[in-house]
Amino acid sequence: MRSSRSTFGDLALIAATHAATIRTAERKARQGLGVALVLLTLLVLGLWWIDFGFLRFFAGTGRLGQILWRMLPPSPGNAEHFLLYWHALVETLCIAFIGTLVAAAIALPLGLLAARNVTGSAALHFTLRRCFDIIRGIDRFVWALIFVRVVGLGPFAGTLAIAISNIGSFGKLFSETFEGADPKPVEGVVSTGAHRLHTLRFAILPEVAPVLLSQILYYFESDTRSATVLGIVGAGGIGLYLYEEIRVLEWTHVAFLILMILVTVAGIDALSGIIRRWFIGKRPQRDPRR
Amino acid sequence: MLEIKALSKKFGDKFAVANVTLSVREGAFVGIIGRSGAGKSTLLRAINRLNDASTGHVFWKGESITSLKGQKLGAWRSRCAMIFQQFNLVGRLDVLTNVLMGRLNHTPSWRALTNLWTSHDRAIALSALAQFDIAALASQRAEELSGGQQQRVAIARALVQEPELVLADEPIASLDPRNTKVVMDALQRINRHFGLTVLSNLHSLDLARSYCDRLVGMAQGRVVFDGAPRELTDAAARELYGIEASEVLAPEPASAPEHNSVPALA
Amino acid sequence: MASLQILLPAAQLAPLDAAYARAKSAKRLVSFMIAAGLVIAVLSAGHVAEIDLTKLWGRRAELSDYIDRAFTLDSGGRVFADPVEWFWNLKGWLLLLLETIVMSYLGTALGFVLGLPLCFCTSSNLTRNPWIRATAKRCLEFLRTVPDLVFALIFVEAFGLGPLAGVLALALHSTGALGKLFSEFVENVDMKPVEGVLASGGGKLAAIRFGVLPQVLAGFSSYTLLRFEINVREAAVLGYVGAGGIGEKLIEAIRKFYYTDVSAILILLIATVFLIDMGTDRLRASLSRSLSR
Repeated sequence: MRSSRSTFGDLALIAATHAATIRTAERKARQGLGVALVLLTLLVLGLWWIDFGFLRFFAGTGRLGQILWRMLPPSPGNAEHFLLYWHALVETLCIAFIGTLVAAAIALPLGLLAARNVTGSAALHFTLRRCFDIIRGIDRFVWALIFVRVVGLGPFAGTLAIAISNIGSFGKLFSETFEGADPKPVEGVVSTGAHRLHTLRFAILPEVAPVLLSQILYYFESDTRSATVLGIVGAGGIGLYLYEEIRVLEWTHVAFLILMILVTVAGIDALSGIIRRWFIGKRPQRDPRR
Repeated sequence: MLEIKALSKKFGDKFAVANVTLSVREGAFVGIIGRSGAGKSTLLRAINRLNDASTGHVFWKGESITSLKGQKLGAWRSRCAMIFQQFNLVGRLDVLTNVLMGRLNHTPSWRALTNLWTSHDRAIALSALAQFDIAALASQRAEELSGGQQQRVAIARALVQEPELVLADEPIASLDPRNTKVVMDALQRINRHFGLTVLSNLHSLDLARSYCDRLVGMAQGRVVFDGAPRELTDAAARELYGIEASEVLAPEPASAPEHNSVPALA
Repeated sequence: MASLQILLPAAQLAPLDAAYARAKSAKRLVSFMIAAGLVIAVLSAGHVAEIDLTKLWGRRAELSDYIDRAFTLDSGGRVFADPVEWFWNLKGWLLLLLETIVMSYLGTALGFVLGLPLCFCTSSNLTRNPWIRATAKRCLEFLRTVPDLVFALIFVEAFGLGPLAGVLALALHSTGALGKLFSEFVENVDMKPVEGVLASGGGKLAAIRFGVLPQVLAGFSSYTLLRFEINVREAAVLGYVGAGGIGEKLIEAIRKFYYTDVSAILILLIATVFLIDMGTDRLRASLSRSLSR
């Protein structure tokens, strides 16, 4: 039998000459294991903190099974309910649509102001970004509660909540997009003697437009999902019915509502995909010798 | 007349351009040659102020360029067009709009921002494209064109600026041989036919020799050669390119090594 | 400026100009129709969503009044004058915030553990069987779409009040979110290392461990940290339905008009989210530096 010794020579000698490399590799492996161990310990500690008992867990799973069983078959109960649900769903979509669009429109100029390569001001960048962070820090649910207090119950409050929280997210995203714009077209336009505004209008905006659109579409998909729960606090949409039906344990209604939400969201995702492919499409290959 | 006096540019403590003094008369076609990192690009960009020099001066027809600011700087850049290695066009805009960028300094701001150009401007842009046989591509997106076509669009953009000086920073480095000839011919055309002064960075010695009437060689930020192409001897070329000189001047394939140390070939 | 003779004679120019105008006008028409469609959509949606800007303007006093009250103590003075009174329940709130963070950590970790195998099942380059791929994809879609609040509501019914319901809700939703993001990474992975491991006799698991994981670990960690950051905000809300965390106290304060409590809790919440944002951003930056080749 051929031993590895004959093929590779004296292993001990090789190990000695490359001791440093082997040490580094071993240290990296230990580090990786260490990190995994720490995360696992935190996991166990966390579970202990929240009182995770296996008995309780399995009892709960049993109850969950019962609930799932009672969800079949999903049904709205009667035609009247179905119409109510349908109207609420349309309302949800409108909330998401307006909320996303208005936020994008407002966040665009703000994002421009916050972009260092557009304004040249680092102070503006810092202040605006912190404002965006604060707005984003408050969950849209909380915004919904606040706006219900201000404009009353109904979808208006929900729309405002989504719009405001989106301004924070879009503001951050847009400013990052502008700052990451390809500097080459900008240089090209600057070399013709153009002012800052011209550079913005012709070199930056057309190039980043597809990215901006993609981000807006992504948030529209996400907003549709979050708009479905705003109704729980009375801010319009299908969330109200969801909450009520769970409260009264009408599981078939709940299942039907969830199904409606799933179908709608799938539809919005598909629409968003179509819009993406149409406007953004596949960028043609640039010269490989960059 | 372009005069560069004692121009230096420092990045950290390294001199990209070191004490360059140069004069270029109007109507010349100057080729700036040297290895990458020799400072060619930095020198060119100091002329249209895309990079600012650390010390030294640049004069055009007696007027100081290095001290220009604001609107005057924009006006200078308009008179001093630049062509880039990677074309620097706005990919998503159509070809004609890209060329119209060259008219930005000749048009009132409101027209430019609303994209409502005068028919005169459009006519000039189309004519410039026609000079290089690409007028048919006017409505296509710039990013859909081949490299050679894009560079010709860039040259058209430079042309409609009605410049006095054209700076070309490695204009053919990203192109294949056929397009290289097309673009170099285009540059020659604007030099001979329109009488524009052209300063071009080139890494190919052969091209520089055939198209330029004067060569300036740079190495490590300094000018080490300045004269007609026929004056460029092997020795001078070696100083410019170091050991790669033989490859640049006489493209013979290297011969296989004498020894065969690979057992399988024995 | 010297005037260059560039202009072509009118006869040659006209056809070029016409061709350009023709090509552009088609595009302009499409843009116009899209803009018109958008305007109509916005107006009708605005009607359904009961947008009433005059109402908002009219009620602006309510908003400023609310903000005013949020920063005025019962005694009448401004909150800044007496921070001790303002943050009277600091210990209790901080504890609940900690619970919120723990909930988020658990939910994210479980989501990672569950999402990982699922994402491998959805990738066409790792799983041959189209049925497995389709089921896994549908699974992830479902988990992603149902808002964690809905999961929380159902789980509170099944598991009772308390953070367990919240953790499970976050875990399921995160599985869907992470699984989808991960699968996009895995789809774009370079298959050559995987083939290499298989060719030298390694099994499927080894191929994933040594061929795929090193390539995607940086991206996975980055997205997981991002998910953790988002989950902290989500966990804060889950308390509203009794699923643990500070949400319960916040909603109680809003409902019962404890204005100063609202401002106090919100400030603590924003500060926490801020710190976690900064922390995870730093971690992500240093991770991408140390993990990239």
